[in-house]
Amino acid sequence: MVALARKTLVYEWRRYLPASLAVAFSGMLLLVQLALVFGIFDSAAVYINASRGQIWAGYPGTQSIDLGRSIPRDAEVHLLMNPQVAQVEPFQWVNGDWRGSRALGSVSVFVSGIDPAATGLVFARAIPPALRARLNEPGAIIVDRADLPKLGIAVGQSGILNGQRVYLVGTTGGLRALGGVNIVTSLATAERLNAGGDLRPAYYVARLRDPARAEAVAAQLDPHGRLRRYAVWTAPTLAARTVHYWLFETGAGLGVVFMSLVVFLVGTVITSQTLMGAVAGSISEYATLNALGASHRALSRVVMEQAGWVGVAGLAGGGILSALVLALAHSQDVPVGITLPGIAACATLVMGITMLSGMLAVRTLRNADPARLLR
Amino acid sequence: MSESIAIRARDIGKGFTVGKVTTRVIEGLHVDVLAGELTLLSGPSGCGKSTLLAILSGLERPDAGSVMALGEPVWALDRRALQRFRLHHIGFVFQGFNLFPALDAVEQVELPLSYLDLGAAETRRRAEAALDEVGLAHRRHMRPAELSGGEKQRVAIARALAKRPQLLFADEPTSALDSISGQTVIDILHRAARAHGTMVLCASHDPRLIAHADRVLRMEDGRVLTDEHHPHPPIGLDVSR
Ligand SMILES: Nc1ncnc2c1ncn2[C@@H]1O[C@H](COP(=O)(O)OP(=O)(O)OP(=O)(O)O)[C@@H](O)[C@H]1O
Ligand SMILES: [Mg+2]
Repeated sequence: MVALARKTLVYEWRRYLPASLAVAFSGMLLLVQLALVFGIFDSAAVYINASRGQIWAGYPGTQSIDLGRSIPRDAEVHLLMNPQVAQVEPFQWVNGDWRGSRALGSVSVFVSGIDPAATGLVFARAIPPALRARLNEPGAIIVDRADLPKLGIAVGQSGILNGQRVYLVGTTGGLRALGGVNIVTSLATAERLNAGGDLRPAYYVARLRDPARAEAVAAQLDPHGRLRRYAVWTAPTLAARTVHYWLFETGAGLGVVFMSLVVFLVGTVITSQTLMGAVAGSISEYATLNALGASHRALSRVVMEQAGWVGVAGLAGGGILSALVLALAHSQDVPVGITLPGIAACATLVMGITMLSGMLAVRTLRNADPARLLR
Repeated sequence: MSESIAIRARDIGKGFTVGKVTTRVIEGLHVDVLAGELTLLSGPSGCGKSTLLAILSGLERPDAGSVMALGEPVWALDRRALQRFRLHHIGFVFQGFNLFPALDAVEQVELPLSYLDLGAAETRRRAEAALDEVGLAHRRHMRPAELSGGEKQRVAIARALAKRPQLLFADEPTSALDSISGQTVIDILHRAARAHGTMVLCASHDPRLIAHADRVLRMEDGRVLTDEHHPHPPIGLDVSR
């Protein structure tokens, strides 16, 4: 069997290059936008994902972690009474107003009050114990290093937060929040910053003896009933609620779907135009084959095989492009989140682009009428 | 030499409608074309030579009449049967060579053979033999871009001959070639008719070819006006130079 499709692709690669590039860029756009959106959602749930502990208790109906309200202190006791619970820790949430250097004016920030103990749960994955211990100093704060320009200070310098002087004792990574700056302090400092506000914490975080039983324990711990004053979730559930909230309430999810459609459409238009042009350029050769007895189906297979190879080349190119772009984003502390299902979805869409383009190009084969060769 | 009738066409009529005007191109045409002969269809431009070729070869459906090719009623076959008939029995040589730029000469010839499911070895053997027959064995690994016009046409002829068709149709096979290449091409077609008993029907208004044909059908206004047999047309013997 003569490998017509492959030989033509190799020999006339210039002709097919635009199609492969269109596929590669479509794949890259799809994956990068997905990674960015996942990255943003991950940063919306950073309080959960950067913490240890499997159980979160918070205000009933809280849709997103950043919308928490104070809950009664007896929740802590209630959680501790369950034999499965090994440790409970409050998480204080205070809205703040930052004033660093005069030039930057005021910045609205989220203040997270956490337990500075070495065994503390909240932000345990983001803040190493030595740095965490420094929060014991009154007025000590920690921020993500990427937020420093917004705050206008360096480590060791001070700024005014809710009218109180605070000191930056260190920076770390993985603390970036959506729509504001995360400032981490001790519970005591947070209480001082929240003077006049509700001093009760917004969440209690619990660590279980057996993390695998989180679902069952959360169901046991949830007070149920319409009049409950707090609710209990597993960490992934609260994180998913937060992601869901951002996805649908903000319109970001629709944006992703819409952008994907646009990319799909543009990719398909360019790829199919290129393939159609290639078919049209060889139409009398195809017609000759048809005259000599090759069926239209056999010719369609050649075109579809070409589309397939264009897709494979584009997929490889798109993979490399995406890796480069995402590496760049990562190095610039732009939050990106890549998941295997995300990659699989993008690859499927990309192959969908090429197959649809192939089918459109196959329609051009209808012009391969051998009678036209006789004139 | 066989005197059997390869194609018998009766009462062929064909018109083309462009806009509101219908032009009758072929009108009540009868013709028998014999196997083992090179039959030349000549006549002025626009007289319907190509159209007749398309009708006889199963590419263009006539408005009226019947075509029996190798005993099969061509225009009574359905699309797939007609395609199979072409695959197994008909070869074409067109004015444009229509070779795939990416394939070398052997692959050009192998490509249509591959639809016959002969197996790789037999396909290759036949392709090489066909290239040898047209005197291009030494060019077998060259692509169209590296071949002259005459060589390209010979590859196209090898492609048509490799599947050993009983019917070979050629439309202006020499008109894009210089006279020596044209001479070579017509000799190859002629010898194919003699050697394999193939019916070769060649449409051309090239007067140089008339002397080389076994039979000349002169067409005018959609009819065959004259039908001349040449008992012993000359055949050039050396094509491989
Ligand atoms: N598909 C078509 N649509 C309309 N008219 C056509 C079509 N095909 C052929 N014709 C007309 O039919 C007539 C005969 O055409 P044909 O191609 O058979 O001529 P020909 O004898 O091969 O001429 P030439 O020697 O120039 O190749 C011409 O007048 C042409 O305009
Ligand atoms: Mg013609």
